[in-house]
Amino acid sequence: MIPVATVATVSLLYFALLFGVAYYADKKREAGKSLISNANVYFLSLAVYNTSWTFYGSVGRAATSGLDFLAIYLGPTLMAFSWWFLLRRMIRISKEQNIVSIADFISSRYGKSAPLGAVVTIFAVFGIMPYIALQLKAVAHTFDFLSLPLRTEGNWQSPFSGLPPFVDTALIVAALLALFGVLFGARHLDASERHEGLVAAIALESLVKLVAFVAAGIFVTYGLFDGFADIFTRFLTEFPERRHLLLLGTPQTPHTMWFTLTFISMMAFMFLPRQFHIMVIENSDEEHVKKAMWRFPAYMFMINLFVIPIALGGIILNGGDTGNADYFVLHLPLQAGHPWLALLVFIGGFSASAGMVMVSSVALSTMILNHLVMPVILRFRMPGSNISRALINLKRIGIVVVVALGYGYYRLIGESYALVNIGLVSFVAATQFAPSLIGGLYWRRANLKGALTGLVLGFVIWFYTLIVPSIVRSGWISSDILETGPFGLVFLRPLELFGLQGFDIWTHSLFWTMFFNLGTFLAISLLTSPNRSEQEQADKFVDVLTPQETALERKRISKAPTVVEFVDLMAKFIGEKQAHSAITEYLGNLEIDEKGSLSEYEIPSLKRFTERTLAGSVGAAPARIIIENYLATRGSKMEDVFDIFGTVTISRKASREQLSVLYEAARVVASGGEVQTILDNILDLARQQFKFDLCVIRILDPERMMLTVRSQKGMSSEHLGESERELKTDTYIGTSFMTNSVVVINDTDFMDKDVSAQIIHREGIKSFAHAPIAIEGEPIGVLSAFSRSTKGIFTDEFVQLFQNLAGQVGVAWRNAQQTAGLITAREQERELQIAKSIQLSLLPTSLPEIPGISLAGICVPARQVGGDYYDILCNDTGSVDLVIADVSGHNVGAALIMAETRTFIQATAKTVRGVSTIMEELNEFFFEDLGRAELFITMFYLRYHTASGMVNYASAGHNPPLVWRFGTESCERLDAEGLILGIKQNVAFEERQVHLGPGDILLLYTDGVTEAETPDGDFFGEERLCSLLREYHALPPERIVADILDQVRLFTGQHNFYDDISLVIMKIEAATNSMEDR
Amino acid sequence: MKEPTPTPLREAWVIFFLLGVVMLNFPFIEIFNKTTTILGIPTLVLYLFLGWPLSIGVIYLFSHRLENTSAPEGSGDEDRKDRQ
Repeated sequence: MIPVATVATVSLLYFALLFGVAYYADKKREAGKSLISNANVYFLSLAVYNTSWTFYGSVGRAATSGLDFLAIYLGPTLMAFSWWFLLRRMIRISKEQNIVSIADFISSRYGKSAPLGAVVTIFAVFGIMPYIALQLKAVAHTFDFLSLPLRTEGNWQSPFSGLPPFVDTALIVAALLALFGVLFGARHLDASERHEGLVAAIALESLVKLVAFVAAGIFVTYGLFDGFADIFTRFLTEFPERRHLLLLGTPQTPHTMWFTLTFISMMAFMFLPRQFHIMVIENSDEEHVKKAMWRFPAYMFMINLFVIPIALGGIILNGGDTGNADYFVLHLPLQAGHPWLALLVFIGGFSASAGMVMVSSVALSTMILNHLVMPVILRFRMPGSNISRALINLKRIGIVVVVALGYGYYRLIGESYALVNIGLVSFVAATQFAPSLIGGLYWRRANLKGALTGLVLGFVIWFYTLIVPSIVRSGWISSDILETGPFGLVFLRPLELFGLQGFDIWTHSLFWTMFFNLGTFLAISLLTSPNRSEQEQADKFVDVLTPQETALERKRISKAPTVVEFVDLMAKFIGEKQAHSAITEYLGNLEIDEKGSLSEYEIPSLKRFTERTLAGSVGAAPARIIIENYLATRGSKMEDVFDIFGTVTISRKASREQLSVLYEAARVVASGGEVQTILDNILDLARQQFKFDLCVIRILDPERMMLTVRSQKGMSSEHLGESERELKTDTYIGTSFMTNSVVVINDTDFMDKDVSAQIIHREGIKSFAHAPIAIEGEPIGVLSAFSRSTKGIFTDEFVQLFQNLAGQVGVAWRNAQQTAGLITAREQERELQIAKSIQLSLLPTSLPEIPGISLAGICVPARQVGGDYYDILCNDTGSVDLVIADVSGHNVGAALIMAETRTFIQATAKTVRGVSTIMEELNEFFFEDLGRAELFITMFYLRYHTASGMVNYASAGHNPPLVWRFGTESCERLDAEGLILGIKQNVAFEERQVHLGPGDILLLYTDGVTEAETPDGDFFGEERLCSLLREYHALPPERIVADILDQVRLFTGQHNFYDDISLVIMKIEAATNSMEDR
Repeated sequence: MKEPTPTPLREAWVIFFLLGVVMLNFPFIEIFNKTTTILGIPTLVLYLFLGWPLSIGVIYLFSHRLENTSAPEGSGDEDRKDRQ
C-alpha cells in the first residue's frame, strides 16, 4: 500500500509531464517545425489502441478464459498488413475532401448526407460509452488498490476523506481527462482538426505503457519465477484442470469465438473513432504508413509477450483465485513487496486509459458538433452573427459531455462486468461501420439508402444482442427477457435470436449484426440507384488513387451570388481572417471589397470550394446544408445547363486590377527618372495593390557575386529585407536566381529548406515568392515578395503577373545602365569635340598669296580628332616655310601639344635661321612634354626661297614629300635624315637642298595617304601618288588635292579614311610664255 | 493501372493475407492445439508467439519492397496532393 498522497502526486506529476510535452509540440508546430511528423511518433500514437484493456484486461481474460485475448492483437496485425491499400486510400481521401472524423467520412461518401452523419455519430457515442467507462473503471480501481488496503469489490470507500460520497476516484479522473481533452483537442477551430500536442502526448504514453508492462512482466517471470518454462510447468502441474487456458477450441474459447474476436478486432482497429482519428486524420504523411505497418505489430507483440506469464503466475501465487485477475499486473508487484514497481505499473495503466479517453472524447465531440448540433442550429435559423466562438465552446462542452456519459455508464453498468467484456461490446459496435465504409471505398454502386438501412439495423441488433444482456446482468431489468424473450416471443431472445443456438455471445451478435447490416446494405444498394451527388462522391472515393480529370460541373446558378457574399458566409463560420485567406487562395487576387461578379461557370466551383472550406470546421454534411440554405434564401436554384458546345470552355479572366498594375509599372519604368526612384515606385505599387508585407529588389553585384538589396518596401526586416544574399541553392532566393525561374511558396508550413524556413517562420511569413529579374534572358537580380497574413496568394495567374513585374524591373535596370553608358560616351565625345576644335584652330585659315607659287592644303581627320597638322608660314626674307607633321595620339593632350608646336614654330621661324636648327630646337624643347605624354611627332620642314627657287628641308622621320619635275615628268623624293621628335633629347637633323623649277609640283603628305588600304591589303603607295601628280599636274593645286582625295577614296572603296590624311601642294608657276603656249 | 503498386506485389500480398487468415484459424490451428510442451512452453503458445514475429517479418519485407518500388510514384502522388 502506498500513501494516497504519493500516488496522487505522482499521477499529477505525470499528468503535468504529458501536458508539457503536448504544449511543447504545439508550440513547435506554431513555429513551423513539426515534432510529430515522423514515422516513429506515428506508429507510437497508433498504440492508443492498447488501452487499459490491454494493460489489465488481457491478463484477466488470459487467466479466466485463456488464449482468446490474443485474437485482439493478432487480428490487427493482419489488418496492418493491408494498410498500404486500405489505410492509404482512407488517408488520401480524407486529405482531399478535408474530412475530420469517421462520421464525416461515411456521410461524405454517400453524398454528404446529414442524416447518415447523425446516425453514425449517435451510434459511435453509444458504442464508445462503454469503452470510456472501461478506462475510468480501470484507473479508479487501480488507484484505489494502490492507496487502500486490499478489499473485495462492491465495498467501496473513497481514499480521499472529506469528500462528498458521490465523488469517487473515477469522477476525479474523468474530470482530469476531460480537461486534458479540452486543452489539447479544442483550443481553436483548426480547419484540419489536427492536434499535434495531443498526438505527442499519446506517443509518449505509448512508450510509458510498454516500459511499465514489460518491467512488470520481467519482474514476474524472472523475479517471482524462473522464467517462462518454469511458469508453464508449475501451472500445468498445479492446475491441470485449467489447461484449457492454453488451448483453443475449448468450451471457454470455441473456435468460432476465436474467429469472431479476430474479425471484430480487425474491424475495430480501423473503425473505432479514436483509431480513425489517430490513423487517418492526424496522419501527416502517407509514407509513415509503410513503417507503421510492421512497427506497430511489433509493439503489440512486445506488450503481449508477458501477459500469459503474469496471468498464470497470478493464478499460481493466488492459489487459483481469479477474482482480481484483471489487476494481477498491479497486484503481483504489490504483494511481492515492490510498491515502486506497482506505482510504475499504475502509471502505465493510467497512460493506457488516459490516451483512449482523451482521443475518443475529442473525436466524438467533433462528430457531435458537426453532425448533431450544427444541423439543428441550421434547421432553426441561419446564424446571424459570427458563431465561430460559439462553435469552439460547443466543442469543449461536447468533450466534457462524452466523458461524463462514459462515467455514467460506468456507475450504472460497468461494475458488474469484467473489463474485456465491456470492451468487446464496443468492438462489435465499431464493426457496424465496416460494410458502409469498406463498401463505399471499393464499390461504386453502394448508395445512401443501403448504407443507412444497414447501419441502423446493425446497431439495433447490436443493442439488442449485447447491450440488453449487460443491462440485465447489472440488474436493471429482469432476466425474463433473456430466458423467454420480449413479450414472450421465444425466438427473439437476445442471446439466441431467431433460434440460433450454441454460439457464444460474441459470435452470435456478430453474426446477426453482420447479417442484417451487410445484407441490407448490399441488397438495397443493388435495388436502388445512387443520386447525382452520391455518384460524384463515389467516383472521388473509389478512384482516389488514380489520377483523373474532374469534369467541371456545368450547372448555372441563376441570380448569382457575388464573391463578397460567399466570403461573408465563410467568415461567419471560420472567422474573417481565415475566410479571406481561403478566398484569396482560390480566386487569385480579386479585390474583396469590390462587388465583383464572376462568370457563370465559376460559381459552381466557388460553391464547391466554399463548401469544402466550411467542411473543415463544421463537417461536410452541415457545410452542404449551409450552402444550399444560403443559395436558397437568395432565390437561386441550380439548373442543369445544356452545354451547347459540348466542350469545356475555360474562361481566362485576367483581372482588371492585375492588368492595371502592369500598366502602372510600365509607366513608371518609362518615366525615365532616377533608377532608384523607379525601383522604389514599382515596389510601392506592388505592395499597395497586392497587400504584400514586404517587397525587395536585389541585384547581383558582379564583383562580389552577391545579391545586394537595391530597394525595399514594407515592414523592415533585417533578415529578409536588408541583408544581401549569396548565390547558393540552400536558400530559395538563390535557387530562383541560379535556375532563372520563379520560386513560389504558398504555404510556409511546408518548406524543405531549413535555413530559409527558420528565417521565414521567425518573421511570421505565410507565403512568399522570388522571381528572377532578367535582361535578355540572363538573370541579373531577384524580385521578392512576402506576405505575413495570407497563404496561397501566388496562384498561377498571379505568378505570371509577378514575373512580368520582375521583367519591368529588369527593363528599368537595363535602361539605367544604358543611360549611364550613354552619359559616359557623351562625356568622351565632349572631350573629343574640344580636341577637334583645338586642332582645327591649328590649321591655317587662309593661304598666303605669294607670287610665283600657288598653294593648297587640306587636313582630313579619320576620326573626331586628327593627329595631323600642317602650316604655311611667310617670312620677311622672301621665303616661305612649309611644315607638315603627324602626332601619334588622338586626344586633347595630343591636340594641345600640336598647338604648342605650332606656336613654337611660328615664333622661332622668324628668328632662327636654319631649318635643321629649328627642328633641333623643337625636339629639345618638346622632348620632355612628349615623353610625359608618351607622344611622338613626325615632321617635315622645308623653306623655299622664292627668289632662288631653292628649297632647304629637314625631316624628323616623316614620309618624304614628292616633287614632280615638270621637265622630266618624274617624281623625286625629298629625303633627309632625322629621328622622330620625342625619342632622344639631342638629335642632329640633316639639312638638304634642292632646286625647284617652274612647273614643278611639291607634294607634302602624311602616311594616311600612302598607307590607305584596300580590303585585299593593297596599299596606295608612293607610285600611285606620283602617277596622280603626273595626271593632274596641270590642274590648280586645290583641284589636285581634291582629286587625290577622291582617288584615295576610290582606291579604298570607302568614303572615310582609316588614318588622318593631310596634303600640302606647292606648285611653282611655269615660266610665263612657254606655259601659256601649252 | 488502378493501383500504383506493381501487380506482382499485390498478388503476393493477397496470397500472404489469405495465408495469414488460414493459419490463424480452425482447422489449421488445431494442429498445434496441444499442451505438450516444447522447451517447457506449450505448443500452441509457442506457435502463436513464434508465428507472430514471423508474420511481422513478412510485413517488414513487404513494406521494404514498397519503399524501393514506389519511391517515384510516391513523389508523384504527393505532387498531385500539393496541387490541391
